[in-house]
Amino acid sequence: MNVRLALTALATIGVVAGHWLAFDFAPVEAQMGVVQKIFYFHVPSAMACYAGFIACCIGSLAYLWTRKGRWDALALAGAELGLIFGLIVLITGPLWARPAWGVWWKWEPRLTSMALLVLMFSAYWVLHTFGGSGEGVRRFAAALAVFATPNIYFVHVAVEKWKGMHPEIQNKGSGGLSPDMRTAFVVCMVVLLLLFGLLLEQRYRMHLQSRLVAALRRRIHRIGGDA
Amino acid sequence: MNFWPTVALVWSKDIRVELRSKDTLVTLVLFALVLTMVFTFGFASDPQTNLRVFPSVMWACVLFCGTLGVGRTFAREARDGAFTALVLSPAHRGAILTAKTLVNLVLTLIVTALTTPILAVMLRVDLTDVLGLVAGQLFLGAAGFALVGTPLAVMAVNARFAEVLLPMVVFPLVAPILIAGVTGTAAILGTIPENDPRPWFQLMLGFDLVYLVGGQFLFDKMVTE
Repeated sequence: MNVRLALTALATIGVVAGHWLAFDFAPVEAQMGVVQKIFYFHVPSAMACYAGFIACCIGSLAYLWTRKGRWDALALAGAELGLIFGLIVLITGPLWARPAWGVWWKWEPRLTSMALLVLMFSAYWVLHTFGGSGEGVRRFAAALAVFATPNIYFVHVAVEKWKGMHPEIQNKGSGGLSPDMRTAFVVCMVVLLLLFGLLLEQRYRMHLQSRLVAALRRRIHRIGGDA
Repeated sequence: MNFWPTVALVWSKDIRVELRSKDTLVTLVLFALVLTMVFTFGFASDPQTNLRVFPSVMWACVLFCGTLGVGRTFAREARDGAFTALVLSPAHRGAILTAKTLVNLVLTLIVTALTTPILAVMLRVDLTDVLGLVAGQLFLGAAGFALVGTPLAVMAVNARFAEVLLPMVVFPLVAPILIAGVTGTAAILGTIPENDPRPWFQLMLGFDLVYLVGGQFLFDKMVTE
């Protein structure tokens, strides 16, 4: 409990510090200007998004094999957070791309695979949330999450070949970060991943508790029915 | 019971029921015809443009008809409560999945074989020289579609909103097949500069193999009695 409190306090301070570092401490990038600052949030969000989907896949696989409800709760929590951070990535990305590339969107491998990834896990989430509460639905959703994983690779290969015909892919990471920028970037990355971890744990426990409540409610109904 | 006899039994059962009622097949073919009409209204213009849009239209037809067909995979069993019996029977579940996948593949191929020539005629695209290649691609694409879609069609048995959810689930998953199909057909027809379709065949083949193995592994785990 105390560890969680300390980590939450640390994350809170970190979020404020991260903003200060990104907007005030780190210098304005010479070529791209102020828009470059979006990367202090865009890239860590992408990492948190991947982490969420990985948690979802691991949870789903473990759930399919062990049939223990807590793995399913972990998978759902991972998908939810992955989707939130994925949306942040998909919103901040075009905001940067418009001034930098002149277009909001490009069918470039990384963009396309991210968009499809978010779509697949949206399907998982919708299914899990609205598909019903039976074990069949949960297992099906878990299988879907596992199904989606090798797909990421195929999407990437396909889009790379497809767009390989237009050699105009610009890579985002130019590598030329000044030391101050690097400091800001590393702090933002650590803070966002910490935030992700805390949120994941919260959602995971919340799902466990809501299941417990549902089970207790069913029991009360049963006892009430007997009396 | 052995694997392949079970596959043959379930497959021939489904095909026989389908041949007697013909409901899925007739619906699918009619739907495909409507689709080709709609696309032709939208895109048909000069021969050059027709040739360029042909691959996209052809694969869109495969996608829509495939989804419609896949969604009905377990429809009969679910309606009659026979799904539980099928799952509880001593038959290997992988065999049931294989049989259902083959049924879907056959249905999709029949519909594709009917609609592709019609589409080619409507858009005035000459396929005679490249028929073998395009057919091979359609086969690999339809196989990939059936391999991904059939295990997911179990959803229709026990989830709500399944008819809306299934396309939502299947479309992103078959995106690699669509990219490979559309670009590969364009390569065969020579409408894009890089006219070597081989990498696209390889991609589809790899996709098919992964989901062939993956589906067998997962299907057993995802079915509930």
